[in-house]
Amino acid sequence: MIATEYRTLIDALNCAPASRPFVTAWLDEDTRETVTFGEFRRRARLHAALLRDHGVRAGDRVVVIMSQGIPTMTIFVGAMMLGAVPAILAYPNFKVEPAKYSFGLAGVTANLRARVVVIDQEFPEEMLGHVALGEGTTLVRAGDTTADGRDDELPDAGNQPESLAFIQHSAGTTGLQKGVALTHAAVLRQLRSLAEVLKIDGGNDRVYSWLPLYHDMGLIACFILPMVCHMPVVMQSPLDWVMHPETMLQILSEYKCTLAWLPNFAFQFVPRRTSPSRWPQYDLSSARALINCSEPVRAASMDEFYRAFASIGLKREALQSSYAMAENVFAVTQSDIHRPPERIWADGLRFRAEHFIAPVTEEAPGALSFVSSGRLLPNHEVRIISDTGALLPQGGVSEILIKSDCMFEGYYNRPDLTSKAIVDGWYHSGDLGFSLDGELYVVGRKKDLLIIGGENIYPQDIEEAVCSHPAIHDGRAVALGLYNPDLGTEEIIVVAEVEREELLETAVALEREIRSRVVASSGVAVRTILLKPPKWIVKSTAGKPARFATREKLLKEHPELNPGQEEKANR
Amino acid sequence: MTEQAQQMIEHVIYVIRKPGIEIDETTPLVSSGLVDSMALVDLLLKLEELTKMRIPPGKVQPKDMDTVTLMFATAQRVGRPRK
Repeated sequence: MIATEYRTLIDALNCAPASRPFVTAWLDEDTRETVTFGEFRRRARLHAALLRDHGVRAGDRVVVIMSQGIPTMTIFVGAMMLGAVPAILAYPNFKVEPAKYSFGLAGVTANLRARVVVIDQEFPEEMLGHVALGEGTTLVRAGDTTADGRDDELPDAGNQPESLAFIQHSAGTTGLQKGVALTHAAVLRQLRSLAEVLKIDGGNDRVYSWLPLYHDMGLIACFILPMVCHMPVVMQSPLDWVMHPETMLQILSEYKCTLAWLPNFAFQFVPRRTSPSRWPQYDLSSARALINCSEPVRAASMDEFYRAFASIGLKREALQSSYAMAENVFAVTQSDIHRPPERIWADGLRFRAEHFIAPVTEEAPGALSFVSSGRLLPNHEVRIISDTGALLPQGGVSEILIKSDCMFEGYYNRPDLTSKAIVDGWYHSGDLGFSLDGELYVVGRKKDLLIIGGENIYPQDIEEAVCSHPAIHDGRAVALGLYNPDLGTEEIIVVAEVEREELLETAVALEREIRSRVVASSGVAVRTILLKPPKWIVKSTAGKPARFATREKLLKEHPELNPGQEEKANR
Repeated sequence: MTEQAQQMIEHVIYVIRKPGIEIDETTPLVSSGLVDSMALVDLLLKLEELTKMRIPPGKVQPKDMDTVTLMFATAQRVGRPRK
């Protein structure tokens, strides 16, 4: 439980037991570093003094662009100790196209107008030109954490509960990410609710994370929540995890971690990219909540993970779900910690044609399965609103609107975007979903929805059916709607990567099989299926298929697919 | 050319799916667009296998992998022997 007397996040950190381990940065089996809460505070104060010496004062923005690790965290907290407003931005890495990264970096740093931009010694010189250093901005290279600054008394920062604590950036793969400004009070209210529903005990729980600190799951659930709950966290970098996913099993086992947040794809990635012969050396019995969050929750992914690891102690009820977003600090819903998330089956035809959930049995023809993201956190409300603004009854599928006691203050420096997102106190999430028996189900993004002949088609449903074929690389299929002027509606095109290039020799037969699977599972006829070699689909920085960029690439290679696009654009 | 470098070149050709292409140790791969950044995960794993080193991916930038020569230099610079 989180004490109610904390007024700020720094108050909460200051009350943590000095000798309790806080962050373990795990590099590999031989290299790891653990700092206690006491040592973390000491390093954060050193960084606060360093920032103060560079002119940082209360209210100033401090941008941190450093590789994942303890120094990034202590600089972030050091800035908050001064009453400044830190923001962690993505660090350039070999998986992100330099041109795309530099474009985003220039936009975000220009908008934040930071007093100080902190980079590490390894920050690539060629990227420096894209950090917007306005008048009055100082670039600081952080050196050895323990040697920086002086450990002297810091002036009272004057932090108030309603002061801005930090800025976290909303997920976004193209263009400018939006800076979500959050107060200490809003963050503390969110964390109290979350800690209550998860029954967190800082003395016994331990978080595992490979999530980036510039994303809300990594920042809030795996850094700020442990800091405020005085709970240890074992952290590795996303790149280390992607290259060596078995390390997740190793860390969960060795440190007996109890909590972790993972995007849906990770529940398939780990079982498929690790060797079953090595699983028996690990033990997942300590995990009490591995929470599927940030993408629509897929039953098949959860089941695959459970089937793989049940024999090494994974409990069914440990596979949990949540719906979260940066604008609400983090979680809106969380499944009941004592049991697996609710699942329902619904009539597929009514779902698409009427945008309505009519429960049916699993055996019913065309039945679709949905996994709940759980129940609302305390002091949260949602509404499902039709395109015309009408409040939909239970089971109606449309955009999710949210009201809570921990909503963001607005997009930093972007009142135009804020007024579009929050209308009459309700945040318009852009996500589609429905409520049923007190549970919230999220089905996809509004902007991704395909409307084919008046029917709503969720691309994720088609992509899941395509990826269920063993020849298709899991998670590497994109369903797109392309306008056909002859028909006056969109048609569905699927592009998917085969597991191995040789499989393309049997493309005709594969396409036939995949088409049958899509029809059988969703009742949807796909106009064209294009099979591509591995790594063809464009991925986002988060490792998910980037729909827009993939669409652009496809149309460039196959202009014949889209003769009517100009006509649609001109309508 | 070392046997390791030769094996890496063969792997690059396999990854970029251009059989018959001529690549040597100094052919620019990333800056020329032959290798996209997503394929670098594969190359980094191969580099770990060939050098028997653990290479922290956070310390590697695309320019460090631009040629086969640079790849092995990067492994020497940031890699640590596996135990």
